[in-house]
Amino acid sequence: MRNLDPNRAKWIRFRMGALLVLVASGFGALASTAWRVQVEEGHAWRAAAEAQSKRKLHVAPKRGTISDRHGTPFAVSIEVPSLSVDVAELLHGVEGQEAQAQALMDAARTLAKPLALDEHDLYQKLSKKKRFQWIKRRLSAEEVAAVQALVDPRKTDPNAKPLKGLSIDGEGQRYYPARTLLGPVLGRVAPDGSGQEGLELALDEELQGHAVEASKGGDDGAHAEDAATGHGIELAIDEGIQHVAEREIEAALKTYETRGASIVVLDPETGEILALASAPGFNPNDFIPTKDDTRLNHAVVDRFEPGSVMKVFTFAAALSKGVLAENEKIYCEHGYYELAGAKIHDTHENDLLTPTQILAKSSNIGTLKIALRLGEPELYGAFRRFGFGEPTGLPVPGESGGILRPRGRPWVEVETATASFGQGIGVTTMQLAMAMGAIANGGKLMEPILVRRVTDARGQTLRENVPHVRREVVPRSVAKTVAEMLTAVVEDGGTGVEAAIPGYRVAGKTATAQKADPATGRYSEDKYIASFVGFVPADKPKVVVAVVLDEPMIGRYGGDLAGPVFRRVAESSLRYLGVTPFKGSAKLADISRKDDVADRALDALRPSPPSTLAPPTDTSFGPPAPGASEVPDLTSLPAREALLRLTKLGLLPEMEGTGRLVRQQPAAGTRVPKGSKVHLVFEPGS
Amino acid sequence: MMAFRNVRVTRETFEAAPLDVAPLVPKVSKTAAAPVATSPSGPVDPVLAAALVFVIFFGVVMVYSASNVLGATRHHDPEFFLTRQLMYAGGALALLFGLSRIDYHRLYKATYAVLLGTGGLLTACIAGLGHSGGGATRWIAIGPVHIQPAEIAKLAIVVWLAYSLAKKAEAVKSFTVGFLPHLLVAGLFMVLCMKQPDFGSAVVLLLLTFAMLFVAGARVGYILGAAILGSLFAVVSVLSKSYRMQRYEAWMHLEQNRQGIGYQPYQSVMSYGSGGFFGHGIGRGTQTMFLPEAHTDFISAIIGEELGYIGICGLILLYLLIVARGVRTALRAPDDYGAYLAYGISFLFGIQAVFNLCVALSLLPTKGLTLPFLSFGGSSLLVNAAAAGILLNISRQGPIEVALEDAPTPRPTEVRRRGKSADVDVLEPEPSLEPGDVEALS
Repeated sequence: MRNLDPNRAKWIRFRMGALLVLVASGFGALASTAWRVQVEEGHAWRAAAEAQSKRKLHVAPKRGTISDRHGTPFAVSIEVPSLSVDVAELLHGVEGQEAQAQALMDAARTLAKPLALDEHDLYQKLSKKKRFQWIKRRLSAEEVAAVQALVDPRKTDPNAKPLKGLSIDGEGQRYYPARTLLGPVLGRVAPDGSGQEGLELALDEELQGHAVEASKGGDDGAHAEDAATGHGIELAIDEGIQHVAEREIEAALKTYETRGASIVVLDPETGEILALASAPGFNPNDFIPTKDDTRLNHAVVDRFEPGSVMKVFTFAAALSKGVLAENEKIYCEHGYYELAGAKIHDTHENDLLTPTQILAKSSNIGTLKIALRLGEPELYGAFRRFGFGEPTGLPVPGESGGILRPRGRPWVEVETATASFGQGIGVTTMQLAMAMGAIANGGKLMEPILVRRVTDARGQTLRENVPHVRREVVPRSVAKTVAEMLTAVVEDGGTGVEAAIPGYRVAGKTATAQKADPATGRYSEDKYIASFVGFVPADKPKVVVAVVLDEPMIGRYGGDLAGPVFRRVAESSLRYLGVTPFKGSAKLADISRKDDVADRALDALRPSPPSTLAPPTDTSFGPPAPGASEVPDLTSLPAREALLRLTKLGLLPEMEGTGRLVRQQPAAGTRVPKGSKVHLVFEPGS
Repeated sequence: MMAFRNVRVTRETFEAAPLDVAPLVPKVSKTAAAPVATSPSGPVDPVLAAALVFVIFFGVVMVYSASNVLGATRHHDPEFFLTRQLMYAGGALALLFGLSRIDYHRLYKATYAVLLGTGGLLTACIAGLGHSGGGATRWIAIGPVHIQPAEIAKLAIVVWLAYSLAKKAEAVKSFTVGFLPHLLVAGLFMVLCMKQPDFGSAVVLLLLTFAMLFVAGARVGYILGAAILGSLFAVVSVLSKSYRMQRYEAWMHLEQNRQGIGYQPYQSVMSYGSGGFFGHGIGRGTQTMFLPEAHTDFISAIIGEELGYIGICGLILLYLLIVARGVRTALRAPDDYGAYLAYGISFLFGIQAVFNLCVALSLLPTKGLTLPFLSFGGSSLLVNAAAAGILLNISRQGPIEVALEDAPTPRPTEVRRRGKSADVDVLEPEPSLEPGDVEALS
């Protein structure tokens, strides 16, 4: 501007400056908008963006496996192919409303037939023009092949136009190889992959794993297939013992026609739960929304009046407090006693009884006299120390803590008396097992261990639950004394003779508790809870077994009903654990076939023949699908082995018969997509 | 081939300019002191050059980050867009420094060739030779190369306006000579752009014209009047095309339209927002999977996501720096033509950046304008680089004696420079500067 008249040059400079200021203020407005969007609203936008990218990537990592203490899977996730579409990609390069509608119509027509979908419905789906839309989930092998032919049609027809925007991804499907085994404990998973009940819900966070930040690099950007696998959960449960418990609970349910039942098997030294059975159970594989009752884990959810089992803890408290001598005699009023107007009966009319006899004959009157010596605060405190009145802390949803003081105030005298033999208070089966465990192991209340180990995808231990003493409840000597007294229960003249196991010394306590009728507010005449809680061998306990039968229709007494269940479960468990009997050589033959117990357990695991035979997946044609597996040769394998091999390959076993495998469909060597069903036929070996 | 082979032509041209009254004086020894310079010897504005080189490299990085997902899904090659952008960036740098060494006065003579060539390309584009994509015919395919005439048109109009305004000087104030012809030519270009259709480029052309007329001294009243007419025309054109109306609707009601027509701007704002203050870090954004055209028009959204508010502020400051240094170059330019040219180019960068960022932040409806130097695309990058090369050359020719800069009367210095440039022209083998050359590169 040096050529200009200075005045004009000045004006030009001024105008240039003015426009520059205008541009700068434009930039300033942008900076302030960016501040509002990025800093002030940043969190909301970030949350929205993350939710969106999770949906798109469905980075829900493969759900972790739940297995027993030996690694036998209880819940596994296998990948099944599902088809989704990105409509924006499908319509890439198609302009104009009509052309797009036509393109969607064509796509719907092309896809509907091979996938057996309704063309109109599919068109409606596509018309929403979403960036991510499921078309069909859980495709069969033919469907996968058909879709692949549409995506890449050049093999058959070089001029055909490929359908864009489709993608087949593996979608995790939960499978429970052990079927109903442990069902109520495991819970279930919703189709979207979130845990809904049981351990699947309680440990959902761990099982789901954490979606790693989807790496954008490389061509896996949109898939993020290496998203972390969820953590594996190793339970303390032993599949063999669990199986025995469920077999027996099922038998009890049918024999006594009980409304429900629960069994807890526990290692008293470690607090590890070896079996946790609840009936009626359910099979999480074919979940149908039924009465919630079947899916409840009755052992931890149900709160009931325990009855005479509580006498064990009353005695332990009295002995440790020194208000009861082992060899004194207590007058039992010939079976009838009145306390502050309340009438208390014994089933047997007794005169003078030793403490051991009181337990063996289950005298309420003798027990209440001991409890009254203790006094309310001491008895209440002892129960609390044994873990009643608070949840045991199992990682399962809905655990009840039971209730000790239902009216929220200290017991009056009658209440103290009834509480001492287990009336007027509420407990759970799990609490009874844990408390009995404290008697068995010498006075230590353990933390129950249901989850032994949490491992990452590579099997590295992330967390391990080691045995942990919650508190010392009673001195070791007292626990020993009570244990010794409890052996009298199963001896001749005791209430629990049915629970005796030949070759082992059993300690335990029967209980028969009337249920309160909610309609009348009084104890029901015909509704009982029959239970037996005990441990074996009495001097060096290996297992604690708590059996609780809810409302048996046939029979009544805990000793008669729950005793045999206890015996069978405990006996099988001992053999399974390899605990040798100290007498009763008649059973020695069985010991030599110790493995057979486990085999028997697994035999029963095999399902009865399925009522309807699902048509076997025909996979004889078509190219191998992505993530296809070759069906292995399983001939002559036992069920357990066959099942493990198949689930490892991501295949769904369907089993029929028992014994060893004789036929399989599809045949060995066939390539099938993951998630395909493999039908297995077993026959008992000759 | 319009090469400046004849020195006299050059001189005459400049002498013909009404204000170019300073007498030519014999060349001063200064020329010889510059051993390598092919154009007048001063160094380029180092700040401007550094900012331009930086922004081009930054563009390559961001294009890669924004395009690898798309490259992988659409072309089965995550580096698909990176390799191309690297080639364009190489070409852009060559163009930038090549043109910075060629005296911008050579462009003076070629003005009409550039203008007519561009007009021809624009016409060809809508006359059926164009290549469609995204619902518009904005490209012309020459073999494997696709060029976008609208990008060239923006630079062409600046070149022509600088020429014309410098030539007309005081006459700019008149309506018939100084105002109307410029508006008519710009209007013709705009109509050609609208036919593609490319509404955004038309608006940029109009604003460029207004800005340059304003700076050159056109009456503000005329500009305001034309601006009102232009706005009316814009409203009519928005109402007349359903997709423009939809975009406007989408912009007005972003939240309601986020699944449909407003998807792109909504995702863009979401990208910005999710970046927060510090951003996710380069290459760690996820919005590229959702934001269509993330590597082209909406690349700033990815910058916002990956580099956060800090990054956006840095980006804004970078553009502001480029524009400010460009305006400084204009103020220091040796003559009117250079001043207008430098100003027009700076304003071109500034206005495109502002518009693009406004669209990305949903302050304006979607337009289809690129972010200069950053967006993926050869035409845009090469044309902008060419413009920047010219700008750098003008910066070279700023006053050597700073003390003289503010002198109110012309000094021999400028004359000397002009003479010098002419002399150099004679000495040099003539690189041709044809519109076709620029286009073929892009």
